[in-house]
Amino acid sequence: VTLAVDCVRADLEALVGAPKVLFGPDECLPMAVDGMVPEFIVLPGTAEEVAAVLHYASEHQLGLIPRGYGTKVSMGARPKKYDIALSLRDLKRVIHYEPADLTIGVEAGMKFGEFQNLVGQSGLWLPLDPRGGEDSSIGGIIAANAAGPLRQGYGGPRDMVIGLKIATTDGKIAKTGGRVVKNVAGYDLGKLLTGSMGTLGVIVEASLKLFPRPPERATFALSIATLEIARELRRRILRSPLDPMRLVLLDASAAALMNDSVKGPESDEMELWIEIGGSHRVIERCMLELRHLASAVGSTLARREDAEKAWERISNAARWLKPKYRDVTLLKASLPLAATEEFLSRAQLEASSEKIPLAGFALVGVGIVHLWALQEALGTNIGAWVARLRQAAKALGGSLVIEHCPTKLKGQVDVWGASGDDLGAMRKMKAAWDPQAVLSPGRFVDGI
Amino acid sequence: MKKIVEIDLENQRARVQPGVVNLDLSMVVADDGYYYAPDPSSQKACTIGGNVAENSGGPHTLAYGVTTNHVLGLEWVLADGEVIHTGAAHWDRPGYDLSGVFVGSEGTLGVVTEATVRLSRKPEAVKTLLAIYNEVVGATRTVAAITAKGITPAALEMMDGFCLRAVEDAVHAGYPRDCAAVLLIEVEGLREAVEEHADEIEAVCRENLAREVRRAKSAEERDLLWKGRKGAFGAIGRISPNFYVQDGVIPRTRLPEMLDFIGSLEKKYDLHIGNIFHAGDGNLHPLIMYDERNREQTVRVIKAAKDIITRCVEMGGSITGEHGVGLEKSDLMPLIFSEVDLELMGRIKTLFNPQGRLNPGKLLPTGKMCGELRGGLLAGGTT
Repeated sequence: VTLAVDCVRADLEALVGAPKVLFGPDECLPMAVDGMVPEFIVLPGTAEEVAAVLHYASEHQLGLIPRGYGTKVSMGARPKKYDIALSLRDLKRVIHYEPADLTIGVEAGMKFGEFQNLVGQSGLWLPLDPRGGEDSSIGGIIAANAAGPLRQGYGGPRDMVIGLKIATTDGKIAKTGGRVVKNVAGYDLGKLLTGSMGTLGVIVEASLKLFPRPPERATFALSIATLEIARELRRRILRSPLDPMRLVLLDASAAALMNDSVKGPESDEMELWIEIGGSHRVIERCMLELRHLASAVGSTLARREDAEKAWERISNAARWLKPKYRDVTLLKASLPLAATEEFLSRAQLEASSEKIPLAGFALVGVGIVHLWALQEALGTNIGAWVARLRQAAKALGGSLVIEHCPTKLKGQVDVWGASGDDLGAMRKMKAAWDPQAVLSPGRFVDGI
Repeated sequence: MKKIVEIDLENQRARVQPGVVNLDLSMVVADDGYYYAPDPSSQKACTIGGNVAENSGGPHTLAYGVTTNHVLGLEWVLADGEVIHTGAAHWDRPGYDLSGVFVGSEGTLGVVTEATVRLSRKPEAVKTLLAIYNEVVGATRTVAAITAKGITPAALEMMDGFCLRAVEDAVHAGYPRDCAAVLLIEVEGLREAVEEHADEIEAVCRENLAREVRRAKSAEERDLLWKGRKGAFGAIGRISPNFYVQDGVIPRTRLPEMLDFIGSLEKKYDLHIGNIFHAGDGNLHPLIMYDERNREQTVRVIKAAKDIITRCVEMGGSITGEHGVGLEKSDLMPLIFSEVDLELMGRIKTLFNPQGRLNPGKLLPTGKMCGELRGGLLAGGTT
């Protein structure tokens, strides 16, 4: 075995250069995934090197997991094998940038925070608040199709990617899309790669649509006494001319977390947070509309001056919750809009009967509910709880995935849930891209 | 298959069969204040199934995205008769986004039998501006300036004098016959935002030498302007025996350069070319007039069309923004895609269409006429 490892090391060093290959358990421990430590960390400096490493892994059937800064690497099932951690952090160049055209192309390893700083100088942004926030990589955000509450106003990565370069297991670099905002030439493989979790190929470069930042922003919080009020407000807001950037229903625990209360919920009231962007006049008008809406349903309205920090707390949940709640589990349910409140309340009920401390956030205008099970130690009951919530989501016409959890839980409950009648097509797709099944093997739906 | 199967307003979605006409879906939900956002110019006749296959755009996709941004889930039939469901009636179903691959696959991967699409809320206010220019370059510069200013209008269309005179003759929409170009600009949203944006846009137009900026005073006036724009291809059909519609895309800041280039082609090939653009997203529709009985002229048309596309590619653009590749442009694919890219697409096609029976010869190059437009297909188009 030692000999084989030495051979692989020599081969990898020949492909990318000795300084870019790290090995040994101590060096590789920081790149562990679900408790599995890879034999090697490879840090390619070019797209061609990424392709060469992929080809090598495929030929020698070595399990490989691409990663940026690890903010979303806990997502997915336990890998079937894991020999190489392919770090993209040395791929961080700007390839093209045309502020006046609102387009940019960057390498996949660029940090999201640096990206936003760069385009921010021209008053632009990529309006995403993905899990992992500024520490995410552009490639990782796309591979996970990671979007946060800003999806209400702007859509997700799926809507912003206009072109990709992808390193494939046959050692090549393929392009899809282009650099312009409208383009229907060829199959839209950008959509396929978005959300494919590193199981088809490795995104090495992305061209993206940029957006102008709104001149002013304001966040308002509405108190919500009952689920019925929450439903009514959602209906009224979505039918109103208000065009929120973010619209999130927080249960009492989530509201306490957002309000930075260390003591936990001070009341059992929910809150509906709504962010508006635009000119001063637009914001004044929206505030007026919201005040009318609030009084019509018996709610109170407050403007949040410190909202930006609070919003960041949602993106960076895993990071700041971890020290206190070591075994935090993050779930995401995707649902019809009208089912979001009911699902949130059902989750609270199930959690309290299992004594699982829970914070819940519902993106009621998008149909996404995030649940944080705040645990210091993983309870034995959590697997059954997740399974019941998945049933509930299904009954309401949706689905549920685990976005982050202790590895132990992955042995008890499927991270992704059951697939549909397109599973055969998905398997064929996987085989066409990665015939040796070496890319993030076993981490995606149904063991793909 | 033309049934609207389900309208679910609270969940902002509709489930439709592929034969439902695009505009009919918007009409059905209009009274409740909703609409289906992608609006190809042919929306009175084109179907949702066709829109899905082509990933259709339209003037208002500038702000709201094209078909793929509005499709939640699909039911499709594979080449072997198997029926599959991709996506869902909500976002983010776990697994590969096969709907995203199917949309725009031009009938080469399967046949769509049902689509679940998003319905959008109609805006509170709409303002339609008509900026009138004595020189085309003012119009194209305005487009770049509006984008650079960070204003995203709902639609930003350009028509040159030749096209708008043809439109005026056919529709009497109120376009001024004596100008070189107009921009048809629409802003939508909250009343206050619309007013502010309309003022800013008007200022940008004037800075770029618009001789006049009109605002539609009523819904009727607005509808008439759009009727003219959407009926433009038909109007051109009245004055030229045949016309060839090119569909290319460039970065929007390159519009002035591209217009000059098209002007130079008119001289080079002794042809008349009209210009109608979805200018805001850099999507060009130059219309080349010809008479198909004149074989020699037809050859010049093909050359000019090829030159335009080649120039689009050189500027970093695409060979098609919304009309698709089809048969006509399949052999132009190597202009923007490498052998590696095309081989990969070929692999995807083979997965779903192993015997090549679904829309044979479309989308991917056949290698028979490398780098040439197919002359036999030079008929007038729509959209």
